[in-house]
Amino acid sequence: MSALVDLILGIVTSIGGFVEAGSISTAAEGGSQFGFELLWAIAAASVMLAMLIEMSGRLAAVSHRSLAAAVRERFGIDFQIVPLAAELIIDILLLAAEIGGAAIAVTLLTGVAFNWWLVPIALTVWLVLCAFGFSVIEYGVGLLGLVTLAFVLAAWRLQPDPHALLGGFAPSMAGHDRLHYAFLAVSILGATVSPYLLNFYSSGTIEEELPESKLWVNTVTGYVGMCFGGVVSMGVLATSAMVLRPQGILVDSYQQAALMLVPTFGTWGVTLFALSLGIGCFGAAVEIALNAGYLSAQVFGWSWGANKRRGDAARFTAAFTLVLLLGLALALTGFDPLRLTLLSVALTVVIMPLIVLPFLVLMNDEKYVKQHKSRTLGNAFLAALTLLGCLLAIIVIPLEVLGG
Amino acid sequence: MDLVRDLLDNAVVDRKGREMGRVDGIVLEIRDGAPPRVAAIEIAPGVLAHRVHPFFGRCMVAFGYVFHLRDPRPLVIPLGDRLQIGDRVKVDMDVGDTVAGEVEQRLRRWVRAVGGGA
Repeated sequence: MSALVDLILGIVTSIGGFVEAGSISTAAEGGSQFGFELLWAIAAASVMLAMLIEMSGRLAAVSHRSLAAAVRERFGIDFQIVPLAAELIIDILLLAAEIGGAAIAVTLLTGVAFNWWLVPIALTVWLVLCAFGFSVIEYGVGLLGLVTLAFVLAAWRLQPDPHALLGGFAPSMAGHDRLHYAFLAVSILGATVSPYLLNFYSSGTIEEELPESKLWVNTVTGYVGMCFGGVVSMGVLATSAMVLRPQGILVDSYQQAALMLVPTFGTWGVTLFALSLGIGCFGAAVEIALNAGYLSAQVFGWSWGANKRRGDAARFTAAFTLVLLLGLALALTGFDPLRLTLLSVALTVVIMPLIVLPFLVLMNDEKYVKQHKSRTLGNAFLAALTLLGCLLAIIVIPLEVLGG
Repeated sequence: MDLVRDLLDNAVVDRKGREMGRVDGIVLEIRDGAPPRVAAIEIAPGVLAHRVHPFFGRCMVAFGYVFHLRDPRPLVIPLGDRLQIGDRVKVDMDVGDTVAGEVEQRLRRWVRAVGGGA
């Protein structure tokens, strides 16, 4: 495909594939409890994600190695075993949350109890992973996910006060429930900057064989796609702020959050919410399971690739199947998907320094990025994010206990 | 050559370019009156796990015996004509002749039985 078509598809699928259980739950809860005050957290997290995604893609396109493979080669298994194990555990938690979120979405549409949908949804995820190549998976998920633009449309039609909206982009401390506010701000970061996204994106860059000469496609897709994707999350928060907060509805379940689109779309509101939640969660489950396969195969040097016949990459197939089964098993235990989501995003923040620190080395190593090394701004950002990650890693669990 | 940076943990491929694993270990030959020399590379989950902690290494070896792998000992490839060290390490072997190939074959039969060769 031409570079322009690649670019457009990349941006569109980044927007459509941005929102999933974590971003919906944290944005909806943030909006219902604190109005527009957490918009700055989504904006900051989106910019951080965009920068990291661009670096992941650049690393993969120039070195022909995914992030996980590059970390194994550069740092060795002694370092990588900790983020690898942590990421696989978080992937299982996230999978359970996403499968649960998709099941709740189907329940909203059908009225049938959500426990009945867990196995069929997990099976469908597995069938999609076995039957389709990378492009179909990525573009299919992303294009269907454009239904989440309903949140942006709703926020626009509800005519938010521009002054209050813009004020939400200025970092501030809430006037009430400060611990819970701080916990949500940190959770928004964890929900947005998910480790699986970084390796998934770099693996996808290799699957699609993006050449070094087209790095500009990666740059534009990363920044524009992720930042516009962040706008969808902001749409969720703003809609929740304008619809649920005035009614005193504190979102602690997806069923409550579904009410936010009713004033704009009437009876279609719950349907649109369910479709957004369902497609977003289903797409995320596909990507998380696929990434678990990528991670395992790339670290241990197995054959891998969504564009290969599954039998020709049997250990890769077995890895994503096993992780999907474990996620399903956890979902079947009955844990509330919303609580699972918040737990997994908190754990994501705990391991964030181990995910970000390798970038600081790899993006300055000519062996991996040749002349496309990070400049001063990029290095300053990585250093700051590593330090911030270390600080947040220390406080996130106490925050969850005290303010979660 | 920087052994840790340029050899250890690098990807290994067979003569047809198929993934064989990674350089999990390096065997050094200690010689009297001469500096150590790289004798061979090792590819094995047990060697990799041993680097994390010897207990995990023993567990991986036991795992291999429990699952009746043909030979759970490490694959040791001597440095020489059969080995080319570059961006990736290329070995003049067929991955099907290794334990990794055996595991892949077993899982391939299962994948094809369940998924119909998708």
